Amino acid sequence: MDIATVSIVIINIVIAIILSLAFVPILVWMERRVAGFIQDRLGPNRCHIGGMRLGGLVQSFADMLKLVFKEDYRPDSIKEKLLFTLSPAIVFATSFLTFMVIPFSDDLTIGAKTYMMQALPIDLGILWILAFAGLSVYGIILGGWASNNKYSLLGGVRAAAQVISYEATMGLSIISILIVYGSVNLGDMVRFQGELLWGFIPAWGVILQPVSAILFIITAFAETNRAPFDIAEGESEIVGGFHTEYSAMRFGLFFVGEYVAMSAASALIVTLFFGGYQIPWLNTEALKDNIQTVLISTIVIMPIISFFFARWIKRNNVWPVKDDPRAKETGRLLKVLIFINVLIVLSLALILAFGISSNGVNISVALIQFITFVAKLIVMNFFFILVRWTLVRFRYDQVQDLGWKILLPISIANIFVTAIFVVAFGG
Amino acid sequence: MGIKVVPRHGSTFVEKLYLPTIAGGLKVTFSHFFQNLKDTSKIKTLSYPEQQPSDITSRYRGVHRLTKREDNTISCVACFLCATACPAECIFIEAVDREDGVEEKMPSKFSIDLLECVFCGSCVEACPKDAIRMDTGIFSFVKKKREDFVVDIDTLLSYKEFKGDKS
Repeated sequence: MDIATVSIVIINIVIAIILSLAFVPILVWMERRVAGFIQDRLGPNRCHIGGMRLGGLVQSFADMLKLVFKEDYRPDSIKEKLLFTLSPAIVFATSFLTFMVIPFSDDLTIGAKTYMMQALPIDLGILWILAFAGLSVYGIILGGWASNNKYSLLGGVRAAAQVISYEATMGLSIISILIVYGSVNLGDMVRFQGELLWGFIPAWGVILQPVSAILFIITAFAETNRAPFDIAEGESEIVGGFHTEYSAMRFGLFFVGEYVAMSAASALIVTLFFGGYQIPWLNTEALKDNIQTVLISTIVIMPIISFFFARWIKRNNVWPVKDDPRAKETGRLLKVLIFINVLIVLSLALILAFGISSNGVNISVALIQFITFVAKLIVMNFFFILVRWTLVRFRYDQVQDLGWKILLPISIANIFVTAIFVVAFGG
Repeated sequence: MGIKVVPRHGSTFVEKLYLPTIAGGLKVTFSHFFQNLKDTSKIKTLSYPEQQPSDITSRYRGVHRLTKREDNTISCVACFLCATACPAECIFIEAVDREDGVEEKMPSKFSIDLLECVFCGSCVEACPKDAIRMDTGIFSFVKKKREDFVVDIDTLLSYKEFKGDKS
């Protein structure tokens, strides 16, 4: 155990925690602002710390703080006190643990050792995720049952039935993608997607297995209990569903768990079907060979993007009253943006001037791939949010019809077709 | 005749596939999102306390005011018709004799409890002298105590007529 090993393990765990936990306020903020913009409203944008609104991001932190300091109330009618307390923790912990096997970048080689860039360096990958995705519904079922309330119980039962019917399709759609990749290790899958198909198309899962990708995305929506499959909450029919009796941070854990689950599902979709950390046409070897070109183009592209971003901030981040602290925010943001730009361009120029060792190349490639992964993750999360604010909730029987009569046969047929194709053409 | 037959959607093959129509819906929402992200100034939302609404017309039924005669004395003759017409019973009048010979009576106290008032405008309809009007254009009144919401005769006389747009 040398310093490099320990520090990389710690960095990996911290990254996983940041991507799952610290992402939640950002996702809540994204959800609200995107919903606002879709409905031609502004969304939350007034809350500020010393004038810094950050486009309303401060609001989610304020809400989190409120949830923490609210009274932790439990009705006297609840007899299953342990399960009542345990179930939010189950939802939260399982969706959190799902994130632990997602690779953020290709295996990092430092010196003679190679490290897997995921929080838990295990090869099981997809099996781990399936195990915990199935387990997370226990929290909802137990919470609904322990609440000792008809509506909560109905919500829990609905969640159970829904997850059972969609878990089948999800597993089967994963099987067909496993036939193509020939591995359960997520790192191997992403490495496979770095290759090119017939020399010019990136071999992403969504291109090799479009049916499986669509099925998996639909079932991921159902697994995370998000619209259009959020019948477990179904506030128009069963009050609040499984979390009717919950308040304060117990509810907060359900809430955070839902967003972590959404983020984990997005990460899984990105990893399985959208090339994970791979930049299209630039896989790890190509990145390592052309690191100079990549760094130089970063130096050129970054100020250009920042210029347009700054113009966008100037046009849109306005406050009607001049002597309010919030009116000064735009100037400060622009200063910070310029500072970041100067810092990055200078450091990249220094690196280019002095040359990089092979370790440095590996680390910078890992960093570039990590940024790519986060960008893809944000886009996928945005897709989740967009779907939620576009589609209406399914009726309960329609959910079951869709799951058993349409998605399941398609997924089985997809496995057959894929298997025949792979056997006939040798993969 | 007069009946519009709306075709029932969802029967064609493309619609039964769900995904093309879902993509259409996503396109609509995303185009709204993208336009508003590009330029938030097109959004109609007001930053309310800082930006006041500009679409309040002169006919807007706001807080009451008492009108004056041409010689700058109060028009009200303390006939109690408004207080009788008031469904919320929020008008409180005390009458005294008028000494200058213009009319027989005038109010010494005329207060309206704005928390009780339902802003129906019956008092304005009932008034034979056009002495009470609701054309101040004031739509928001914030005070710290319940007692402060009972506005007295001097305040009611001090409000001015609101003529159209504020902007």
